[in-house]
Amino acid sequence: MTNTPADKHLMFNRRNLFGATAAGLAVSSLAACATSGGDDEAGEVEVGEDAENPFGVDPAAPLDVVIFDGGFGNEYAVAHQEIYKRAFPDAEVNHLATQAIAETQQPRFAEGKPADVLDNSGAQQIPMDALVSDGELAELTPLLEAPSYDDPEVTVRDTLREGVLEAGTFNGKVYALNYVFNAWTIWYDAKLFRDQGWTPPTTWDEMIALCPTIKAAGIAPWTYAGQHPVYLYDMFLMLAGRHGGVQVLKDIDNLKEGAWNHESVVLAAQAMHSLGESGFLLDGSAGIDHIQSQTAFNNNEAAFLPCGSWLPNEQKAIAPADFEYAPMGVPYLEGSAQPGLISAGGDEPFVVPKNATNLSGAYEYLRIMLSQEGSQIFGDTVQATTVVKGVALDNEAAKMTDALVSNPDDMFQPQFRYWYTKMNEEVRPALGQLINAESTPEEFIARMQTVADETAADDTIEKFTHED
Amino acid sequence: MKHGRYPFILSFLALPVGLYAWLVILPFAQAFQISLTDWSGSSNSFEYIGFDNYVNLFKDERLVLPALRHTGIILVVLPVVTIALGLFFAFMLNLGGRVRRGRIEGVRGARFHKIVYFFPQVLSVAIIGILWKQVYAPENFGGLITGALTAVGLPAPVNGFLADTRFVLAAVIGVLVWSAVGFYLVFFSSAMASIPRDLYEAAVIDGAGRGPMFFRITLPLLWDSVQTAWIYLSIVALDVFVLIYMMTPERGGPDAASEVVGGVIWKYAFNHGEQAFASALGVVLFFAALSLAVVSLRFGRRERIEF
Repeated sequence: MTNTPADKHLMFNRRNLFGATAAGLAVSSLAACATSGGDDEAGEVEVGEDAENPFGVDPAAPLDVVIFDGGFGNEYAVAHQEIYKRAFPDAEVNHLATQAIAETQQPRFAEGKPADVLDNSGAQQIPMDALVSDGELAELTPLLEAPSYDDPEVTVRDTLREGVLEAGTFNGKVYALNYVFNAWTIWYDAKLFRDQGWTPPTTWDEMIALCPTIKAAGIAPWTYAGQHPVYLYDMFLMLAGRHGGVQVLKDIDNLKEGAWNHESVVLAAQAMHSLGESGFLLDGSAGIDHIQSQTAFNNNEAAFLPCGSWLPNEQKAIAPADFEYAPMGVPYLEGSAQPGLISAGGDEPFVVPKNATNLSGAYEYLRIMLSQEGSQIFGDTVQATTVVKGVALDNEAAKMTDALVSNPDDMFQPQFRYWYTKMNEEVRPALGQLINAESTPEEFIARMQTVADETAADDTIEKFTHED
Repeated sequence: MKHGRYPFILSFLALPVGLYAWLVILPFAQAFQISLTDWSGSSNSFEYIGFDNYVNLFKDERLVLPALRHTGIILVVLPVVTIALGLFFAFMLNLGGRVRRGRIEGVRGARFHKIVYFFPQVLSVAIIGILWKQVYAPENFGGLITGALTAVGLPAPVNGFLADTRFVLAAVIGVLVWSAVGFYLVFFSSAMASIPRDLYEAAVIDGAGRGPMFFRITLPLLWDSVQTAWIYLSIVALDVFVLIYMMTPERGGPDAASEVVGGVIWKYAFNHGEQAFASALGVVLFFAALSLAVVSLRFGRRERIEF
């Protein structure tokens, strides 16, 4: 880590410059180490009258942008920065695209000199719960209340699709802009189903009834990325939420006592367990990663695969040309109260650190990202929808997904995984054990209820709740 | 000592000692300091909470305690198996062959074997991880061992060895042994070469077989080397992070069945945002390694034989 000792607390004037040289080693080591650095009073950004520049951006101030260089690449971000420079030609934009978000950015937070805009995503993301409870992030209300880039009469908030701020909201405050619209669905090959004369099941019982037929055709009914059981998270929770209604899931997130023992959650656990027990999983699923499971799926070795909306686009170049990616909601259990419930909303969190040097520039950059032009650029480069309304994509899977998420009341993203790292670390292996019938539904429920109770009882963990 | 010699020596030492203090001792000291706080790692504010982290460490049934258990198992199994195999192979390659005109020779093709055994040492650990992940894979995803087992009609874990809580740790230890044994074979071979041949020849004349020869002559005279190997292997055993990270599901799974201390430090520091807790575990590991080295040096001390 390179560092200048010009921390705000360590101002060198001529008089102590001599001593400073001698102390150079000590100072730079202190500045380089994590536990020093000043806690600056963060500036507040107000929304001004000027619709062109509502945050009062200093046109000459440099902007520091860090992009997660994952499935979406960083081409779109470069294009966004071009728009920023069009508005502020004198500003120098510092662009870093990396997969190692935590490794490169965490030390900068610790030093008190974070980037201005950070795409905190990927396997190496900095835990959001830690950032929020440490008060390291700026609230995004000024951005949401500012006039939108395209129409000063409409606020930024009103340009967004319904329910997309939920994922970045912690105790009612928006700390992250989740830029990509994503729904977790079950995928199947529409062509395969047509050719075989199978009807995509809507209920769990239909699905279970279809499984022996699928097996008879030499195809395993289900596969998933066994090495990353997190792919089962939304499938399992939607199964429970569809049965008992969304409140069941809110109770789980809110760490309500006995939330995991709810009948719907137990039924969902039993359903997941039955897949492994009945031999409806592709042999070897537990030992493969997402690439292997998707490849097996592309080769029609398995009929159903739980994954997010990005899948068809990601597989476009890999899947056989006549493979027809089609999404469906998880087949619901008998007696489901809210069978349309679906895990959909924002993904790919962009955050603005509270100690960012160019705070107003950061807000402006996000405002540009949320402009029609900005989100169309994203849609065109990566073929994924952003959270902005009215940017349509020309592909069949995206249209089918849109139909699944048409009712805003049925959209809900379970949050406990993001709110409580400890529960995230527990639910993943627990789901893996459950679906492979390595543990019983009762053990699974008891295990999750225990960790939920422990989290609730731990005063050192900051708690979050859903509103209403 | 002549006048002016100390300043002369000190002027040479100042830079390396300074660098050492800055880059090694200071971070260690700081890890200890951090371990007494509640620092998340992504903020510059923290509070001192005394030894709470250390107390909580030993209450963590999910990650820390399994990790300590697994690291303990590796710490015992890895040196024992590796040294045993290394000694056996080295002995066979040097002295395992027939006695020809009063001279003992290694098995046929000893030089070739040496090169083959040493080969894994040349591969980077990342390549070893990828290689063995595939070897252990489920049968219908190209797993070599599972496929071979099924081919001869033996039962094989359907999800491969790494996704099975019963086998994953053994599978990783197997890779560690495989990749280390070649080096220790060469290491013990060269040590054996320095044992005078006449000792063995005298033993042959006295009618000793291979077994007594090994236990009465080779092993006692190699004791220093064995001890060195033990310490090196123990250090390796305390840090198998890379293989776990590369090979196992969820980097320590399935369901914490292959968590090791190094991996748990990483998880707490970067996945959980609990840098202070990770530091506490790091400090524990540091003292464990230190006492291990001291103990094995103290108790392993034997009388030296000059020859």
